[in-house]
Amino acid sequence: MARQRALRRRIVVATLVLLSVALLTVYFRESSDGPVHRLEATTMHVVAPLQSGTARLIQPFRSGWNWTSNLFSAQSQNHRLRAEVQQLRSQLAQELLAQQQAAEVKGLTQMTQNTRVFPQGTRFAQARVIARSPTVWYSTVTIDAGSAQGVRVDDAVVNGQGLVGRVSAVTPDASEVTLITDQSSYVDAMIVPSDHEAQGPPQGLVAGSVTGDVTLEYVDRSQKVVAGQVVATSGQKNSIFTRGIPIGYVSAVAQQDVELYQSISVTPYVDFHTLDLVEVVLP
Amino acid sequence: MSQRAPTIEKPVEGSHIALELGRLAVLLVVATLLETAVAANVRIVGANPDFALLIVVAVALLRGAETGAAFGFVTGGIVSIALFEPPGIRSLALVAVGFLAGRYAETADLSPNVAPIVSVFAGTLIAGTLSLLAQFLLGREVPLAYLIDHWLFPVLVLNCLLAVPLYVATRWWLKGDRRVRISET
Repeated sequence: MARQRALRRRIVVATLVLLSVALLTVYFRESSDGPVHRLEATTMHVVAPLQSGTARLIQPFRSGWNWTSNLFSAQSQNHRLRAEVQQLRSQLAQELLAQQQAAEVKGLTQMTQNTRVFPQGTRFAQARVIARSPTVWYSTVTIDAGSAQGVRVDDAVVNGQGLVGRVSAVTPDASEVTLITDQSSYVDAMIVPSDHEAQGPPQGLVAGSVTGDVTLEYVDRSQKVVAGQVVATSGQKNSIFTRGIPIGYVSAVAQQDVELYQSISVTPYVDFHTLDLVEVVLP
Repeated sequence: MSQRAPTIEKPVEGSHIALELGRLAVLLVVATLLETAVAANVRIVGANPDFALLIVVAVALLRGAETGAAFGFVTGGIVSIALFEPPGIRSLALVAVGFLAGRYAETADLSPNVAPIVSVFAGTLIAGTLSLLAQFLLGREVPLAYLIDHWLFPVLVLNCLLAVPLYVATRWWLKGDRRVRISET
């Protein structure tokens, strides 16, 4: 009896382990309309409304939590801001000179109403974040708009602050958005304003990482980049992002003699921890 | 080698099985919603709790290895799908955690109240290591020192803090009638 029970237990576990591995293998090998992807769509049809309801339910608690967290961080923020004010005073003269260029940069933040970024007639689908990955492996969120609202894979996602990411998976009722902080995310970007009138603005790829840090890669060492400059999408040919969507600002620049490219840290404009309402740019 | 005397498992009738499955299904929904819609908003010292793992451990401690492993598999699958993650990785990790926590309940003396904490601590380590390995095999970036410092350690602390409250809540929901047999070791 005991031996039978032990045998049954081993069979159950071995079967479940094999099923897990098979599920993973099939998911990566099948096409986007394969059985596991169809199961994903069916499950999301049931789960998405529940997630949406839960997200609305916890919204007041989330706000309360953020308020409390902010209270605790207020003191350290105070010290940081004092130091920042001193630094900003010294930069003021330079900033005044750059005012004209700043007006151009300011225009980038007008987002959806800005016809220079989004041509007249560009359609948007408003969506709410209903779930987000709590692991370090994936910087993704789930939004409550899917193919039924016209959302497709690789659509750009923005909010009032700037570029959020791109749609990486779609079901009829919900979509997955890969944030620009995800380690698999790459966005073609440029630095504005530029001192390089002749050769155009410095361009590179904004990449995320597992640590959540965002960097601008592949910017040649010969191009001058300084902290505080704005990073926006460059909208190169075949890019999924239109030109001029603000991404963030350059927070640090480092150069090493042995490196071909500069090491540029970017602070995104979007606060991904409080992300709620977003706009999907429809094709 | 001394063996514990097996306790007699109560015969389970059809209606009880349906009731049990219903309770587990509700737990499954709760685990999915907590993990997908709530966990990311509960950020303490840079970490988010793993509610799915906590509930799988609680179910395994209360219902044994087979139920724990099966519940872990289903929970892992549904949470992965709801978060658009590749299915299989979480399932694999939670099958291992559910099975081992269940075996611990079946073979060890659970009278001290530290059992959920010990199980969650070990379960988080096992699931973390398996996830790390799987992500490495999938070709994703794995900065080990950063992950241990900023992810695994805070998650361990947070999960252990939540282990007892969630275990008590799960035991209340499953009506506390532990059907785990202290069985053959």
